[in-house]
Amino acid sequence: MDKSTLLLAAIILAVFGASVAAGHPHWGTFTGIAIILLAAGLGAGTLPLRSQDFVEERTSPTQRISNGLITLSSAAIVAIYAAGYHRTSPAAHRFDSQIPQQRTSATIAIATPPPAANPGSSAAPPVSSSASSAAPAIKKNTKRPSAPSRKAAPSSASDSAGSPSPASATNPPIEAAAPPAGAAKSAYKDGVYLGWGSCRHGDIEASVTIQDGKIALVAISQCLTRYSCGWIAPKIPGAGLPDLPSQVVERQGPKVDYVSGATESSYAFADAVVAALSKATE
Amino acid sequence: MHSLMQSLQHYPKPQSNEVVRTVALMGTFVTIHVVGHVGGDMAGREGETETAQRERAVDRALDWFYKIEECCTRFEASSEVMRLATQVAVPVPVSTILFEAVQFALAVAEATEGAFDPTVGYAMESLGFNREYRTGQTIRTTLDSSASVSYRDVRLDAEGQTITLLRPLILDLGAVAKGLAVDLAARELQSFANFAINAGGDLYLGGCSPSGEPWSIGIRHPRNDGELIDSVRVSNRAICTSGDYEKRANDEQGHHIRDPRTGSSANAVASVTVIALTAMLADALATAAFVLGPSDGIQLFHRLGVDGLIISPTLELYATRGFREYH
Repeated sequence: MDKSTLLLAAIILAVFGASVAAGHPHWGTFTGIAIILLAAGLGAGTLPLRSQDFVEERTSPTQRISNGLITLSSAAIVAIYAAGYHRTSPAAHRFDSQIPQQRTSATIAIATPPPAANPGSSAAPPVSSSASSAAPAIKKNTKRPSAPSRKAAPSSASDSAGSPSPASATNPPIEAAAPPAGAAKSAYKDGVYLGWGSCRHGDIEASVTIQDGKIALVAISQCLTRYSCGWIAPKIPGAGLPDLPSQVVERQGPKVDYVSGATESSYAFADAVVAALSKATE
Repeated sequence: MHSLMQSLQHYPKPQSNEVVRTVALMGTFVTIHVVGHVGGDMAGREGETETAQRERAVDRALDWFYKIEECCTRFEASSEVMRLATQVAVPVPVSTILFEAVQFALAVAEATEGAFDPTVGYAMESLGFNREYRTGQTIRTTLDSSASVSYRDVRLDAEGQTITLLRPLILDLGAVAKGLAVDLAARELQSFANFAINAGGDLYLGGCSPSGEPWSIGIRHPRNDGELIDSVRVSNRAICTSGDYEKRANDEQGHHIRDPRTGSSANAVASVTVIALTAMLADALATAAFVLGPSDGIQLFHRLGVDGLIISPTLELYATRGFREYH
């Protein structure tokens, strides 16, 4: 019931109680007082509710900052890891060339697909391929349904897991076009894309639907983890549980929150989205 | 940024199948320890032992330190962050690492109302914190920085991934960069349940120590060298301690944490320890608490949902409510 209605009822009850007390001097006094007390209780009940609202209003901004910082720091880690880990190579002295290269080749990728991106090129590792723990995922990669518009290269390229440096050395344009940070800025091609991510607990496949160049729908298409994917993608949305697929749609990118208690699964999910999105930008 | 001495207590001698490596990086020593027995079911690649897998993972984890140092160091004129300092009032496209690091630093500055401020770089350099730890070379940047600068003089554009400096300034990402490197290394090692990363006071502890218990971390006594004032047990958390006993300026009395609002060394605190989900957050908030002092610092921790211990110069201990649970 609405609080103001409740308050109104309390006032009416109080007036009624007073009239009863006044009209029946003998027994009515007690009944009247009882009714007034009831009304007071009802009225009082509405007041704490209000003050509680007030407290909530006051605490929520700090809550937001707190969650914001924790989220931001984990999102930063996911973003950098996703953008960079397929380039991780022992040689760390490439940074100078990396930035301009990334910029220009990203533009090239949008305008005209570089020739190296043609089918048959085996050196186009999807972002998922170099995950340190990708070993179990490789087998599954071969059997995963590939999106019709996509070339078959990614699954065979998964062989390069763990040794991505040769691929990135020989084929910088694709490598540079793949990072989701850059990808997020370019328009995606419409279609449904699938990608795998893996962690210690198993593998997750995400499906990403692109409509009008935007991420329209994200779902976990296969959950091969030891634990339920309900921790990161609740069956009933809106229950206050972390819903990573919806976050991808909201944020139009793979930056998802760190889910305490399901950290690795959330990372695996983010990796899967990155892998899928990298196909949408090829 | 600040190294501090936290020791991994009961630090075991490496057994044959575990990997422990120490490298000098980011002005300190970085130790990565991957515990021998892997709890999960790691399917090994053909012909590769689990130990070899661990070695490779440790390589990759250390690569993150090199990468981030290259990008964020203030001591190298050619680093990305220093090249950024030469361009004022124009949007400069930057790498994901730099963008994310600066974005986070600015968010912490905002949340702490400037107690933490990444724009103190030039002030730090002028105070004598200007020596590259490996080569010993000093850096001197000429900036026309007559006016005082703050985090409000930095603009970010997520769309184009650019940073714009509204005034000449140098970003000091020390507090953020080391934590970020630890977090990325931890991410790299996540497939091994049990590991420890220690980068001179910024630690991340995954799973359990070789004893099968959560990692036991000693907190250095800020005045008595070689003595511990407290110790905590943590698992899957980052812990960072900053002390006034670290890194003094060459030519002056005063340590490396300055109050960005006044420019002088922050003196109300001897050491701060923060436990958080990420090392990046722990380090940044430890730095902020140093400036804020014990009671405001603890208040900040409560507000931001992290746990911490602050020790005053007179050795009074201030802790958050949740800190005790780590004992």
